Amino acid sequence: MDFAHFEEIIIDTSDKSEIKEVVKFLDSQNLLLDKNVDKTVIFKDGKNIAATGSICGKSLRSIAVSPFYQGGGVINRLITKLIEIEYQNDNHHIFIFTKPQAKESFSYFGFNEIASSESAVLMEKGLPDISDYQKNLKKSFVDGKVISSIVMNCNPFTLGHLYLIEKTSKESDIVHIFIVEEDKSTFPSDIRLHLVKEGTKHLKNVYIHKGGDYIISSATFPSYFIKDADALVASHALIDIDLFGKYIAPSLKITKRYAGNEPYCKVTSIYNDVMERILPEHGIEFIKVDRKEIKGDIISASKVRALIKEGKINEAEKYLPESTWTFLNSNEAKAIIEKIKETISRH
Amino acid sequence: MELKKVGAAGTYESSDIYVTLFPNEGNGIEILLKSSVEKQFGTQIRKVIRETLEKLGVKDAKVQAEDTGALDCIIRARVETAAHRAAEITENFNWEELDKWTN
Repeated sequence: MDFAHFEEIIIDTSDKSEIKEVVKFLDSQNLLLDKNVDKTVIFKDGKNIAATGSICGKSLRSIAVSPFYQGGGVINRLITKLIEIEYQNDNHHIFIFTKPQAKESFSYFGFNEIASSESAVLMEKGLPDISDYQKNLKKSFVDGKVISSIVMNCNPFTLGHLYLIEKTSKESDIVHIFIVEEDKSTFPSDIRLHLVKEGTKHLKNVYIHKGGDYIISSATFPSYFIKDADALVASHALIDIDLFGKYIAPSLKITKRYAGNEPYCKVTSIYNDVMERILPEHGIEFIKVDRKEIKGDIISASKVRALIKEGKINEAEKYLPESTWTFLNSNEAKAIIEKIKETISRH
Repeated sequence: MELKKVGAAGTYESSDIYVTLFPNEGNGIEILLKSSVEKQFGTQIRKVIRETLEKLGVKDAKVQAEDTGALDCIIRARVETAAHRAAEITENFNWEELDKWTN
């Protein structure tokens, strides 16, 4: 089939009229345009869309070919274009979420499966890949009878987080803490990491790591950062936990994972439910800890952000360890505080 | 020729090969190939990739290649282009040397 005549268009989300067409086209194939895409590629056959695909950071998203052109090699040209854009952005390690039935086609574009659930497969291509990540992680292995782990965002680090870490530290020989690295949170990841490190210096068996691409990143868990249907969240959570159970926990011989009970955030609560169900299948015990309260008042990072937003930063002091409180009063925090006042974010 | 960064060349279109070269300091040449004709030509494709790199004097490279039935001359061309890009050589190509191989 000849498709040399296609018009190739590359747009970003600011191009409202083209985006509207893409959404309509995807909808006709029961697909959604991912909410966080950076760029969308459209192949047009005259007025009609023949194929489209988007990129979102390191991930390819919302790929579809019109029924008329399916099986004709259009997909090859589309993936070529998308990979070219990723390469131009210096992303040489690329992810894709797809349906299990599309797994084989993507394997011919060099993608390898790294995690799966009944309804979705996560594949990656390029380097550094999951085996490089594991090799690196294994360098942090410290032996002990009970090796536990916590994955936290700490946006920002509160006394609630500290309580969970201290409890885990007391009940374990070694504790590995992974700080979500994705910079979609209000507090940048290096600051979140730094505050946890500072605030847990007194705990000698606690090791802090960057979460990287494979722990609650926008590649492995896109719906953590955007509001999505519960079913989609559960599907992404399954993939994230599958990765943790298959690659991360074995690299450090982790046998327990702790998490705080989640009374507020639906996404985190679904994530906890999935952990409870799936982690034991990987030989990992899941321990859910009730949130720390101050006189019946549950401590949470979202409460802290809400107080900052309302200009009542002094009322947040009682929820915060010294490291975070000192930071909030520093010059460095001013821009972040301003940003919180302007926006609403979930994590 | 030393690879300084990631270099790529090719497309996923039929009868082509998409070659991505990653620096691989001190670890030699490692080839990861996906091909629709792996069973028939996998060994030959790997051989062409390796020989082309060796001729260019590339000692260390991680090669990821996805092939859709490319002829040997196409494979050579894609590997050469990717290697030059990865080595950040954008001018003064050694045309004489490159020409010799094709004859």
